[in-house]
Amino acid sequence: MSNVELSSSALERLVARRTFPLHRRTGVCRSLFGPVDHEELSRDVKAKLREISERDRQRWNFNFEADTPLDGDYKWEEVPEEKSPAFYRDCVQSGRTPATPVKQRASSDCALPENPIVLERLAVPEGSGAPCAAEVNQENRAQKVYSGRTSRQLPFTGRKRSASADGNARITEFFVKRRRSADKKTNETSACHLSKSAILVEQTPRKRIR
Amino acid sequence: MTPVSSPSLSMAQCTGLQYEPVAEIGGGAYGTVYKARDIESGKFVALKNVRVQTDQNGLPVSTVREVALLKRLEQFDHPNVVRLMDVCATKRSDQETKVTLVFEHVDQDLKTYLERAPAPGLSPERVKDLMKQLLSGLSFLHSNRVMHRDLKPENILVTSQGQVKLADFGLARIYSCHMALTPVVVTLWYRPPEVLLQSSYATPVDIWSTGCIFAEMFRRKPLFCGESEMDQLGKIFEVLGLPPEEEWPTDVTVSRKNFPLLHARPITDFVPEINEEGAQLLLQMLTFDPLKRVSAVKALEHPYFQDEEPATQTESLNQGVKSAAGGICV
Repeated sequence: MSNVELSSSALERLVARRTFPLHRRTGVCRSLFGPVDHEELSRDVKAKLREISERDRQRWNFNFEADTPLDGDYKWEEVPEEKSPAFYRDCVQSGRTPATPVKQRASSDCALPENPIVLERLAVPEGSGAPCAAEVNQENRAQKVYSGRTSRQLPFTGRKRSASADGNARITEFFVKRRRSADKKTNETSACHLSKSAILVEQTPRKRIR
Repeated sequence: MTPVSSPSLSMAQCTGLQYEPVAEIGGGAYGTVYKARDIESGKFVALKNVRVQTDQNGLPVSTVREVALLKRLEQFDHPNVVRLMDVCATKRSDQETKVTLVFEHVDQDLKTYLERAPAPGLSPERVKDLMKQLLSGLSFLHSNRVMHRDLKPENILVTSQGQVKLADFGLARIYSCHMALTPVVVTLWYRPPEVLLQSSYATPVDIWSTGCIFAEMFRRKPLFCGESEMDQLGKIFEVLGLPPEEEWPTDVTVSRKNFPLLHARPITDFVPEINEEGAQLLLQMLTFDPLKRVSAVKALEHPYFQDEEPATQTESLNQGVKSAAGGICV
């Protein structure tokens, strides 16, 4: 019975994943939100990042930049690695190869399922798998401003599905704005770049405006 | 940095980074883990640093997604999943961002737990309880479309109260590359045949690993200890027999003919302490064909788990009476 539940949600997700990049590609690149003041943008982003890291620092009384404990509610101690479960050890991830086995792609591309059980199961790697380069889109750009503090996004992504903080919620936002200012046109090559950064400009300060 | 060049490298996750990050180790507080006690709650937290290589686009999309996913899972507060309290990112350079994950701290993992278990090993009840918790955690992850992919005793934390907490999932793609920092080779022992054969795979991979761990809880040593992919497959077939031709995946390069025609041996030869239901469940988890393998939810419904309340007392009395044929039926 839970199988049935799973497969319907997995399907939804599959559909969402398949269609979203398609939408993105069909449009011509335009300057959707007018010219961007890159200096202002970069100032805003830096201020935001400082704000976030200051909050992290206070919450945990730990200086994450210098890797040093500060005084506060948490009494920090340094434990030799061998005395702690291996799980807590530091590790490295390469940015370009997000360690997703190549064969995983095969599961979503070639081995497409005929029966619902296979579909449900194969949907899993797709959903949690690393995206290909083409999938880098606004959804993710917006997230980056917060460097992992995803909970901070809820104020403007959470209108439809606040608890799920899902990429899809943001898509709606994107298309709404796109319609609003779609008549503004500039040259296409730079516009492609601008439209991406524009999301940052639009979304970051908006919380202050509203 | 170099993208994995060939899909035939099954250790694709880590081979790409084998050398690159080593040069960067010098700096940080490598070799120690930061752990803290919250004086208000008395609870312990620990920091896990993940250094993420970045390019002009900043953090990789996959990393951002994984963090978002972990945070979303966190809202469910599942008792068998390690608590993630916060995620803090610090930019180190244009090429590197340090992502610090603040986790609850648990003192030991299942590996140590098994090593420290006194002489006769864990009681059958203890094993059953651990398995039940492990499968609940797993079924939670699977129902949230998260595959662990690297389940092993080191990734399963056990609190001093005996509570099981799964760790290292979701961001597993990040975490699992311990190899980048330590010379330890990523273990193949818990890998299912479909991964060893480089066929397509999904959540059943975790069930296979769980099966291996199930057996290990009784044996206190791993069930299949292969030294290479082929060796690992060989070890598996020595116990479970060579699967029939029609079950061999079609999308793989390794031919079934490479392996001797072996027949399945009774699983109780390898896990003598297990009872009948347990053995049955174990074989359902160690099913070669991933589509026929039991799911986490179904495994929890197995009769092995259905005897708890009335039988607990008698069972614990029976503990000492080890039946070689796995004869303790409850």
